[in-house]
Amino acid sequence: MNRNWLYVFSSGILEIFWVSGLKHSETIAGWIFTVAALACSFYLVVLASRQLPVGTVYAVFAGIGTGGTVMVESLVFGEPFKLLKILLIVVLLVGVVGLKMVTANTEKATT
Amino acid sequence: MAWLALVGAGCMEVFGVINIKRLSQQKWDALVYMMFTFGLSFYLLTYAMKTIPMGTAYAMWTGIGTVGAAFVGMVLYGESKSWKRLVFVVLILGASVGLKFVS
Repeated sequence: MNRNWLYVFSSGILEIFWVSGLKHSETIAGWIFTVAALACSFYLVVLASRQLPVGTVYAVFAGIGTGGTVMVESLVFGEPFKLLKILLIVVLLVGVVGLKMVTANTEKATT
Repeated sequence: MAWLALVGAGCMEVFGVINIKRLSQQKWDALVYMMFTFGLSFYLLTYAMKTIPMGTAYAMWTGIGTVGAAFVGMVLYGESKSWKRLVFVVLILGASVGLKFVS
């Protein structure tokens, strides 16, 4: 587990916070926290991308963000759990991760 | 209206990404465009999430942004149009349309 992967995982976790913040912030402090989390999260992605393949970094980042927001939404904010909705989100995620991975590999092949 | 805002947020994200690319080529006006488009994207996402569940909205926002970036890459920057990439694009779009009808 090297430092760059730590950046990627941290950025994904932060992403869950800022997405929740965008939806649920009601105070000035809440908004400041949300914007700070957003800035840190993207800064960490850029930092990690300098050392690791961009496609892979973004795929993991989006994966943690998507899975995390769905989980937090059900567990913390009490959104009803619909199986079909979860399935569709999983399909969408497969598409995003797949596209990023394929893109990363073709970029590697040409450079 | 919320769904329209979400699609708009995804598109704005794509413009933001294009400007990151332009910024890396040292076109400094891109910095202004980048801040404006990302700002608008997050604003529209926030607006959409007032009515659309958070997980659904976020997944679609990421999906539209990803598809848009791939599309721009293929059209403007000559990235590969391999069938694998197109299959994933269709998956994302299909799932997004499905989510719209389930929500």
